[in-house]
Amino acid sequence: MRLQALALVASLAGLGISLYLTVVHYSTIPLVCPANGVISCEQVLSSRYGVIGGSAIPTSAAGIVWFAVSALLAAGLIARSEGLARLQLGWSALGLLTVLFLIYVEIVQLGAICTWCSAAHVLVLVIFLVALTSRNGTRVRS
Amino acid sequence: MSRPAAKRPPVSRSMRKPVSRTPSWVAPVAVVAGIALLVVAFLVIRWYTTPVAPPPLTVDATQLVISSITSLPASELDAVGTGSANNLIKRVSGTPQTGPNGHPEVFYLGAEYCPYCAAERWPMIIALSRFGTFSGLKTTSSSSTDVYANTPTFTFHGATYTSQYVDFVSVETTDRNRNPLETPTSAQQALVNQYDTSGSIPFVDFGNRYAFNGAMYLPDVLSGMSWQAVADSLAQSSSPQAKAILGSANLVTAAICRLTADQPATVCSSSAIQAIEQKLG
Repeated sequence: MRLQALALVASLAGLGISLYLTVVHYSTIPLVCPANGVISCEQVLSSRYGVIGGSAIPTSAAGIVWFAVSALLAAGLIARSEGLARLQLGWSALGLLTVLFLIYVEIVQLGAICTWCSAAHVLVLVIFLVALTSRNGTRVRS
Repeated sequence: MSRPAAKRPPVSRSMRKPVSRTPSWVAPVAVVAGIALLVVAFLVIRWYTTPVAPPPLTVDATQLVISSITSLPASELDAVGTGSANNLIKRVSGTPQTGPNGHPEVFYLGAEYCPYCAAERWPMIIALSRFGTFSGLKTTSSSSTDVYANTPTFTFHGATYTSQYVDFVSVETTDRNRNPLETPTSAQQALVNQYDTSGSIPFVDFGNRYAFNGAMYLPDVLSGMSWQAVADSLAQSSSPQAKAILGSANLVTAAICRLTADQPATVCSSSAIQAIEQKLG
């Protein structure tokens, strides 16, 4: 229950970051991000990986969907819908795999790190770890 | 005599050998450790694949490269048009800016470490060389520790430019190791503050009529190439380098033509430049 509360908070924080990056993408609002050598949000977000499959849709839009679903799953588990535990584990594993790919892109392909993206990546990891721990707990109890 | 049957003890679940269970913290710790290892592996891959900074060319070799990129036939430049360049040039409304010789001034602010400046100097040199002559250009490459590391380029630091149409004023604030080189005057800084609110470089102002900041193409087009290889690639109008660099050069050329009232006609009257000028407004 307490762990799922953590997952819910992480999901909402991730949702906020994704919303911010998406709004910045579609507007003229300047991106608040330090630009210091390899730390460069602009470099990452303006790369071809900053949008989904060459479209005009920013990758952060996918983040909105992912964190929103994660928040719903965490809320459901807080409400004792334990059948959602497996779904949460699968969903967060999908998110983690995507994060690993994006980390690869940032470090190897672009040689630049986006701090906002990294914050979102950490939140995905937190949600995955909660899901993993909760799932293990559920399995032992049954 | 038969022995009485021994009574078998009742089997109970509590007498089963206890099954050892992995502590709950092992899986999360293993996941975090795995990710940390993966990140280290990515860093190692990056380190191995980052191109090494090529040593600067000699004066003679530099002159050959400069001659090569500034003597491209006009027909090739026209054929490329804007190529793959991203038109960043915006119209601005300030007091017309003239340079030290009374001609409309093209002002550049950049730094040698900056990869975007490294990319943008190629088209700047090609475009400005259509209106005048550079001397004293030297080769350098962008920082080894920044994004698009070691992008081959030239530096405006120590170079001079002469033209009967336009004045070119440049400020390279640091070298490729971020040591200070040149400082903008207060008037130049005011210009930058007015039109480059994001503070990103390179910043280029065309006589206070047009301005842009950033690079018109991504520096990865030049990744791992020598200066000579870039120069050779510009001879083929279909190469990615020609589309990016010559496309950007045409955009810069059109902006300068707007300053010089389309002089010289041999440069500014071409259909490609005229078409871009109309887009600039």
